[in-house]
Amino acid sequence: MKILVCFKTVPDLEMLSEEDWAVDSNLAVDVSFVKNILNCFDESALEMTLKLSEYSESFNESLTLTALTIGDKKAEMFLKTLYALKFQKAVRIENNEDVRFFPEVIAAVIAQYVEKINNQDVVVLGRQSGEGDNAKTPLLVAEMLGWPCITQVINIEPSQEERLRVTSMVEGGTLIQVIDTPCVLSVGNAPVSYLRVPTLKDKMSYGKRAIEVLNINVFNIASLLNKCYHEYQLIGLEKISNHRAGILIEGATTAEKAKKLYDHYLKERLEKQ
Amino acid sequence: MSLTREQIVEGLVKILGSDKVITDKQVLQESSIDRFRKYEDVCGVYTQPLPAAVVYAESTEEIAAVLKFANDNTINIVPRTGRSATEGGLETVVENSVVLDGSRMNKILNVDTYNMMVTCQCGVSLEVLDDMLREQGYTTAHSPQSKPLAQMGGLVATRSIGQLSTLYGGIEDMVVGMETVFPNGEITRIKNVPRRATGPDIRHVIIGNEGALCYITEVTVKIFKYRPENNIFLGYTLESMKTGFEILREVMVEGYRPSVARLYDPEDGEYYFSHFAEGKCVLVFMVEGPKAIAEVSAKEIENIVQKHAECEKVNSQLIKTWFENLNWDPKKIAEEIDEIAQTQNIGFTTEVSGNWDVIYDIYEACCNRVREEIPDITMMGGHSSHSYMNGTNMYFMYYYNLVDITPEEEITKYHYPINKIIVEETIKAGGSMVHHHGVGKHRTHWIKEEYTSSYYILETLKKAFDPNGIMNMGTIIPIKK
Ligand SMILES: Cc1cc2nc3c(=O)[nH]c(=O)nc-3n(C[C@H](O)[C@H](O)[C@H](O)COP(=O)(O)OP(=O)(O)OC[C@H]3O[C@@H](n4cnc5c(N)ncnc54)[C@H](O)[C@@H]3O)c2cc1C
Repeated sequence: MKILVCFKTVPDLEMLSEEDWAVDSNLAVDVSFVKNILNCFDESALEMTLKLSEYSESFNESLTLTALTIGDKKAEMFLKTLYALKFQKAVRIENNEDVRFFPEVIAAVIAQYVEKINNQDVVVLGRQSGEGDNAKTPLLVAEMLGWPCITQVINIEPSQEERLRVTSMVEGGTLIQVIDTPCVLSVGNAPVSYLRVPTLKDKMSYGKRAIEVLNINVFNIASLLNKCYHEYQLIGLEKISNHRAGILIEGATTAEKAKKLYDHYLKERLEKQ
Repeated sequence: MSLTREQIVEGLVKILGSDKVITDKQVLQESSIDRFRKYEDVCGVYTQPLPAAVVYAESTEEIAAVLKFANDNTINIVPRTGRSATEGGLETVVENSVVLDGSRMNKILNVDTYNMMVTCQCGVSLEVLDDMLREQGYTTAHSPQSKPLAQMGGLVATRSIGQLSTLYGGIEDMVVGMETVFPNGEITRIKNVPRRATGPDIRHVIIGNEGALCYITEVTVKIFKYRPENNIFLGYTLESMKTGFEILREVMVEGYRPSVARLYDPEDGEYYFSHFAEGKCVLVFMVEGPKAIAEVSAKEIENIVQKHAECEKVNSQLIKTWFENLNWDPKKIAEEIDEIAQTQNIGFTTEVSGNWDVIYDIYEACCNRVREEIPDITMMGGHSSHSYMNGTNMYFMYYYNLVDITPEEEITKYHYPINKIIVEETIKAGGSMVHHHGVGKHRTHWIKEEYTSSYYILETLKKAFDPNGIMNMGTIIPIKK
């Protein structure tokens, strides 16, 4: 089974101080001073796929894993790591356009890659990225490929005959389905949130393979890009303030304070559970 | 006859009242270790003898009473404040130990902006203290990475050092005076004066004692003017650590005192600097102080660096952003635990020091041997972060995947063998096996090689001040088997 995991690297916005959150005349925040990290949902998707690959081996089925990212050279460090973690192919599609808010462009590139360059049975993506927060790419990829899509995926396991056992979050619970491929899986808030770490030996043995670099111009997206530039206009950017309020509980003794905490804040919540 | 657990708890309750004596099992388990055994914490498997109780003292008199009770009944006391220890200093290796926690002694007692010092109790959080001072235009200038976690008693007890040390020194250069309680209950005060020549400087018996001689209850440290507006950040990429050490040396020898002077190797730097220095070493300086001095220092340091063609200057905003994100707060600690649990990848540090003529050799030998000899290594590298006229430190960072082990074997299969390589190579080259985390309980095996003939002085101090052997046994000096 051939699986493509698409990921994005994003600036680590937590590193920005309050004063760094200045929006410039091009409606961008300067993030060139902070390091890049894997988008959190994509990191889950990558690790989940590696786990699936391990399980599949015990089913005597081997997976071919390809990792793909669209972006500049900064992402290559992550692709090298994925090679060291035994991804068979690592692909970067060179792009310097600002497509943060154009998920249809990204989706078109991914869909064309799958249809024309490297056929796949499954495409796995994180549900949204912290930068554009569009939450559309996986759904658009599925639509363009004409494949079914499962959203909010939190676990993927092997099943028989080219099928997968997929766990996803649905309203009020989790759903486990055995599904046929091809399909698109959109990874949500999964318990698996960190990518494993390759050993130095594996970095030396596997991490040095050449990354396949394709230019975004080889994909047929010029008219789509034009349309996006015309149809969407970025009007403003604002930092969401997530200051949290706090209450100081007063009391003469620790016991008194604990009782107040329990009576006023915890009791009702605990009873509801 | 030694007391039973129950009798110990009873005795402590009599002294402190039941409110301050904790015997909850989970609390005892978590209090039996520090970050050296963080993998045990991740797994919820605790291998050390559980303490009889964790007790919270709220005054010097209570500390004295508990110590006297322990001394009379030979109960091992493990002093504790901020709980950020990394070398086993908080491990309760003796059966029925009592953890004596001073974190509730958290009053800032006096801010003296004329004589430029601040006096506080041992449980004052460094971050709280420094934030309060900064609001008034002052600072302690002590800035360890654990600033959001550590407290004044522990910071003095470990001979800690901060990121601004090249200008302001380690805690030993900052402490003016102290109040301390010895195991027999004796309360001693060393007064606050700018200098004295009244015999040996007895502050140094206390600073760095790691709870193995006495309990620090109150500390007075210097304060400095806080002028962040004058800070200038400089950053360079370069090819080799050897050149980096040469530059650090030249800066020090020529008499410049940047507050931050750091040199990262490519492996350690990758975590922070991958966005602009992939595969390169990074040299970082921050200069501060009065504007004119800061400007001249920055200019002269630049001149020194520029003589080395392999150094390329980077935008100083990159360095400022890095510096602002260096410290570890409780959120980061919690995230780390989660990450270890998920990835089964864990990292530790070992920090050593050496003179200029050996530091590169120490760096190279340790990195090579660890990479070759230790299984499942995912990262081995390090940085120099504290420079002096005679030499500098190396702060080794190493990560490994935990493969086929029980929780206890994390230490025997990986951590000990790595520590052993680093300590042995350092001592062999004539360096010191501990630069600032303290000896704790896991580098005691090499304490005699470290001290050589001066071990006599250390051992005599222990015998003199803790004759019954109740102060954090197994710390600094190993327990005789
Ligand atoms: C993420 C992280 C970063 C760190 N960065 C640095 C750094 O930059 N520089 C540095 O120097 N250290 C650093 N450390 C190590 C640690 O923070 C320091 O050793 C700190 O000084 C410990 O202070 P504490 O209040 O947490 O002490 P604790 O952890 O409570 O105790 C440390 C030791 O001191 C003893 N002790 C504690 N209080 C007293 C007292 N009142 N009287 C006598 N003995 C006492 C304890 O028994 C123990 O042996 C770091 C640790 C972590 C976890």
